[in-house]
Amino acid sequence: MSAANVYYLSGLGILFGINLIAIWGLDLQFGFSGINSFAFIVFQAVGAYVTGVLSLGPANTPVTFETYILGTRWPWPIALLFGGLAGAALAVPIGLIAVRRLRGDYQAMAMLVLALIANDLISAETGWFNGPTGLESVPQPFGNLNVSLHAYHWVFLGLTALCCIVAWWVTRGISRAPLGRALRAVRDSDSAVAALGRNPNQLRMVALIAGGFLGGLSGGLLIEYVQAWGPASWLYPETFLFFTALIVGGRGNMAGAALGTLLVPVGIVEATRQLPQIGYPGEFDDFQWIAIGALLLAFLWFRPHGLIPERRRRLRPADGDRSRYRRGVPSWLRRAPTS
Amino acid sequence: MTMLMTIILFGLYSSALYAIGAVGFTLQFGITNVLNLAFGAILTSCIFVEYYATTHSTNLWLAMLVGGGAGALLSLIVGFGIVGAFLRRGAGGFNIAMVTIALGLMITYTLAAIQGPFLFAFNVSNTTTALSISGVNLDSQQLTTIIVAIAAMVVIHLVLRMTKLGLAMRATADDPSLTRGCGVSPARTRALAWLISGALCGICGVLYGIGVGTFGPFTGADFFITAGAAAVVGGIGKPYGAMIGALIVGMVGQAASAIISPAYAPISAYVILVGFLILRPQGIFSAFAAQRELVA
Repeated sequence: MSAANVYYLSGLGILFGINLIAIWGLDLQFGFSGINSFAFIVFQAVGAYVTGVLSLGPANTPVTFETYILGTRWPWPIALLFGGLAGAALAVPIGLIAVRRLRGDYQAMAMLVLALIANDLISAETGWFNGPTGLESVPQPFGNLNVSLHAYHWVFLGLTALCCIVAWWVTRGISRAPLGRALRAVRDSDSAVAALGRNPNQLRMVALIAGGFLGGLSGGLLIEYVQAWGPASWLYPETFLFFTALIVGGRGNMAGAALGTLLVPVGIVEATRQLPQIGYPGEFDDFQWIAIGALLLAFLWFRPHGLIPERRRRLRPADGDRSRYRRGVPSWLRRAPTS
Repeated sequence: MTMLMTIILFGLYSSALYAIGAVGFTLQFGITNVLNLAFGAILTSCIFVEYYATTHSTNLWLAMLVGGGAGALLSLIVGFGIVGAFLRRGAGGFNIAMVTIALGLMITYTLAAIQGPFLFAFNVSNTTTALSISGVNLDSQQLTTIIVAIAAMVVIHLVLRMTKLGLAMRATADDPSLTRGCGVSPARTRALAWLISGALCGICGVLYGIGVGTFGPFTGADFFITAGAAAVVGGIGKPYGAMIGALIVGMVGQAASAIISPAYAPISAYVILVGFLILRPQGIFSAFAAQRELVA
């Protein structure tokens, strides 16, 4: 394999990891807990911005002329951590507005409008994150390593893999814990959860915050990898790229999310950049989005539960009870086979 | 005095635009119970159709005819055709919202591919002052928009309150199965709801597009934020609520724009929306949202 191909593949690996973290975060909010998180891209955006301003150094130097808040030159792991924490912190106001009392379609619409508002606001307030231009020349982790571009890709891939392990640990931990069971119960019937004495809003908030942390973390990694971030990087359709990945792969389980990540953001969006471009700059992207919309429609029509559907979980009585349980229930009263 | 008149007149103008869009959006949601997130994309495509079909004509009546027709047709295809097919297949709730989103994305990016790197603009330089009150001038385009909006609201009111069709629509919004039991075809009512919503969407789109002068593939999505805010403030699914919501959002936007700075016009609308979502998410007219369990 030629060196260029290896460089390209390692780049795809990095993007796979970054997207995977975000999509696991979205899976926590949407797949496990049933929150229609149409504002998810905002978590990634705030993570990227905060990581950026914490590692760029003082604002408004004669070299960059970028205006932004904070402006410290903290080491990258701390900046990255704060990117994740910023995503988690943003989940609180978003949760208070859109999750506490809104349900269903109404929640989806409020979230979508919040994402559009956030993008407008960041573009208008040039003092916060350099307005419509966005942040540029963000320093990379190990930037002073002095290795070739090719070798650096492997370093970054290792770093991404490390973050993926953190994300895997968070998502799997939550999904396997009693908390995960409670979250799935909130998704399926929040009044039942309330009747059993748990607070559904509190549980949704936990899912939103944990997903927000992962979204922020992936944003932080993304800005450290591409070194730039502006309002055009997080237009509202990007959220639906993540949702398409979850619907194609299968919501509510980690393997489905990973498969969806591999197929949609990496397979359709990134890997096709090597195809010959057509028309004016950007026309190819337009066709990509049309293809993503068509793919989403096709899956919603033919396979709405995705390639890896969520495993059915059922309550099993303790071993000693099982036979009694079975014997006591006449066949016509047993649970009907579900589609 | 001039400032007050500016706020009232231009507030009325922006309220008129928001009202047409918000009523179209909310009326269809109330009757069909489908959240049409492709509304903004349909609105944009109406501007594109008008721009091409009439070779950039700024004749408002022609534009409204073409745009309204295109909107009605597209809305019928999207809503009654495609979304209806998904509904018959048993998709519900969230998946239907995703279907409209997917259709919206496909429409938006088809328009982006059509537009390419060019700037699309209407030639609106030769405007004439049509109405002048204490030094505040409204041009004929703005005056027409206000008149059309008022006429549309009156017509919708009359249709909803005075005709059998309006009765069927209100009944379908309240209780579809009971309505079917009374011999009213819910499918026909839904198709009409999509048609009316699309026509209003198209009319609103061309008025907005010609009013602003330039447009692009995301024009509709941007407009939809504020029109959607008006619908939410009024209580989603309630046409009269959307009218009041549009008036609030438009007037407050103009007041903020005149008193503070023009940049605050959209921001004030967002503040109103977020305030409502926190304090009274069911909106002014709360019945619909409470009945459909959209608000806890």
